[in-house]
Amino acid sequence: MTPLQICLLISSLLFAIGLAGALTRRNAIIVLMGIELMLNAGNLNFIAFWRFGPNPEALTGIMFVIFSIGIAAAEAAVGLALIIALYRHYKTTDLDQINSMKG
Amino acid sequence: MSSIDYLRLLQLAAPETFLTLTGLMVLAVDLIVGRGSAPGTRIILSGSVAATGCLLAAGGLFLLPVYGTFAAGMLVADPLTVLIKVSLVILTLFTVLLAFSDAAPLADPGEYFALLLFACVGMMFLTSAEDLLMVFLALEFTSLSLYILAAFNKQSPHSTEAGIKYFLFGSISAAFMLFGLSLVYGVTGSVQLPEVAAGLARAGNDPLALVALVMIAMGFGFKVAAVPFHLWAPDVYQGAPIPSAALIASGSKVASFFVFAKVVVIGFGGAPAAVGSGAAPVWVILLGIMAAVSMILGNLAALVQVSVRRLLAFSAIAHAGYMLLGILAGTEGFGPLVYYVITYGLATVGAFGVVSIVQARTGSDRLCDFAGFHRRFPVLAFCMLIFMLSLAGIPPLAGFFGKFYVFAAAVKAGSLALFILALATSTVSLFYYLQVLKQIYVGETADASHWEPVPITVSVALLAMAFGVTLLGCFPDLLLNRITIALRITGF
Amino acid sequence: MQTDTSPYLLLLVLMVGALLLALVPIGLARLWALTASPPKPGAEKNAIYECGLESKGDAWVQFRPQYYIYAIIFLVFDVETVFLLPFAVSFGGLSAGAFVAIMIFLLLLVEGLVWAWQKGVLSWK
Repeated sequence: MTPLQICLLISSLLFAIGLAGALTRRNAIIVLMGIELMLNAGNLNFIAFWRFGPNPEALTGIMFVIFSIGIAAAEAAVGLALIIALYRHYKTTDLDQINSMKG
Repeated sequence: MSSIDYLRLLQLAAPETFLTLTGLMVLAVDLIVGRGSAPGTRIILSGSVAATGCLLAAGGLFLLPVYGTFAAGMLVADPLTVLIKVSLVILTLFTVLLAFSDAAPLADPGEYFALLLFACVGMMFLTSAEDLLMVFLALEFTSLSLYILAAFNKQSPHSTEAGIKYFLFGSISAAFMLFGLSLVYGVTGSVQLPEVAAGLARAGNDPLALVALVMIAMGFGFKVAAVPFHLWAPDVYQGAPIPSAALIASGSKVASFFVFAKVVVIGFGGAPAAVGSGAAPVWVILLGIMAAVSMILGNLAALVQVSVRRLLAFSAIAHAGYMLLGILAGTEGFGPLVYYVITYGLATVGAFGVVSIVQARTGSDRLCDFAGFHRRFPVLAFCMLIFMLSLAGIPPLAGFFGKFYVFAAAVKAGSLALFILALATSTVSLFYYLQVLKQIYVGETADASHWEPVPITVSVALLAMAFGVTLLGCFPDLLLNRITIALRITGF
Repeated sequence: MQTDTSPYLLLLVLMVGALLLALVPIGLARLWALTASPPKPGAEKNAIYECGLESKGDAWVQFRPQYYIYAIIFLVFDVETVFLLPFAVSFGGLSAGAFVAIMIFLLLLVEGLVWAWQKGVLSWK
């Protein structure tokens, strides 16, 4: 296997683990962690494609990653704030119990 | 490395910079001047700063547009994007005016208005992005502002719930999108849309490119609330503070659909994803299915709704289906799509405005709460009539021409089956819009209590929107000509 | 000294030594406990040992929400370094415009901090 393939394999695994965590867990904070894993899988892909791609002189890949790390942090911040607000109302972070609206 | 001309950047991004500074000023004004004042005064104070900023930005964009491209497509200002930006700022302005109403008890008005402006800035950057990095950044900036706006009412558990649902769905789809974008980068070696198009054409039937397309479609599908990525929409439309819901339904939709169409038409247009087989490219099949399911599910689910905000949510899903037809029609559908989205946004903000008036006075937004609205506020009831009929697509209102042009473009592009489906579901949609109007005009209610008058800004905004919808309906060329000219200059 | 052994061999030896140094006393203590002092648990014996002080409450306390707000603000300034690092590395070759741009970026962050400060987020009550 080439290094690129190994990186892609790892990032796909990371993405799958994150998605599984985000979809199956009921605790909002663990869901948030799953989402961060998924975002980082994307970052890993970018780095791998940049490093092993045809022109690693252009810094496109690494620039994308720097900004998406910033985005991920902002998302974590907003997510944590929302979870605190949620906890204040419901006294739980269990997402299964958060369904007051029905159509 | 080429050096960057920062003055040029400032010139091209002047409206965005101005709105950002206005947002910061709103924060400062609320913090310094508004400290210790009554909540009502603070809302008026920070709201009027925000509204003035929107007005100035829209006027500046309209009268003194600057055209150009910055850093190979990171920021593109051409007649088309400027047109979209003007409509975005106007939609935000109406949203700000709606927030003057007493519907949402805003604990921190300064932050609320600042976030509305920041969301608008995000959408404006989104419209002018032709680089996938900027698309992702602007999309996330908009989304993050909207998540907070949706959860802004800290007293209401519904609002928090709406915020967290919006956040969770949104960030999962953002993660999908980032992964898809990374695959696109891997396949094509670039993140600039024209080069991505060339790269995808070269890649041909690469399975990696297919996966990437599906993942990116998921990300955008979430933003525009198309089935099957629509699950957040009803709860957010129902639970979020009404101005937030209005912005999510209008401005966010305008910007997302525009950039979705741009990415698909410029970026993936050249992707012969099913090369040699003679079948349609994969993204056409994918979007076709999304459009069909959105139209069917949205319209059918809206029929049984009791809450008007939920009804508007499902109608928004149905409209997303119609708009996808415009994207499917390719370059032909671009102009009609823009016209459709803008007029749809206008009518939706108006409808939410009327709902906010009713909700502030009855405490809920069920259909039966609208009974007798005509007797209390005849003029506003007439406005609601215009919004609802425009959403349903009755001539001579703007909604009719939007649908007409989009459907015509779809027929020209050859998607006849989808066109017939759209017509049929459109007829169904008339039923639930008329349900609302029936309650307003002939609904019987025993409740004869006095309703407090509507704040002047809200009535002015509603009247302006109703006037706009009627005007654009009677003279669609006012907007459509501009779009056509802008499209020709831009080269679509 | 032989030269064909791996330079990391010494490290391995040291690591094994360190592990033994840690594990042997614990093992001896276990052995001593098993043979010489039979277990007699009691309330006093099971109490948490905190340098002779009586322990107060549970370790699983809930943090105040303010703690998380601190964490969120910290997060922002933590990730800011991701952008500052490339700036610092290429500082020598930067134009004046780039310098102003990064200063504006920092100014925006500082504004956020000032806002949080004015809102009273930074003071524990």
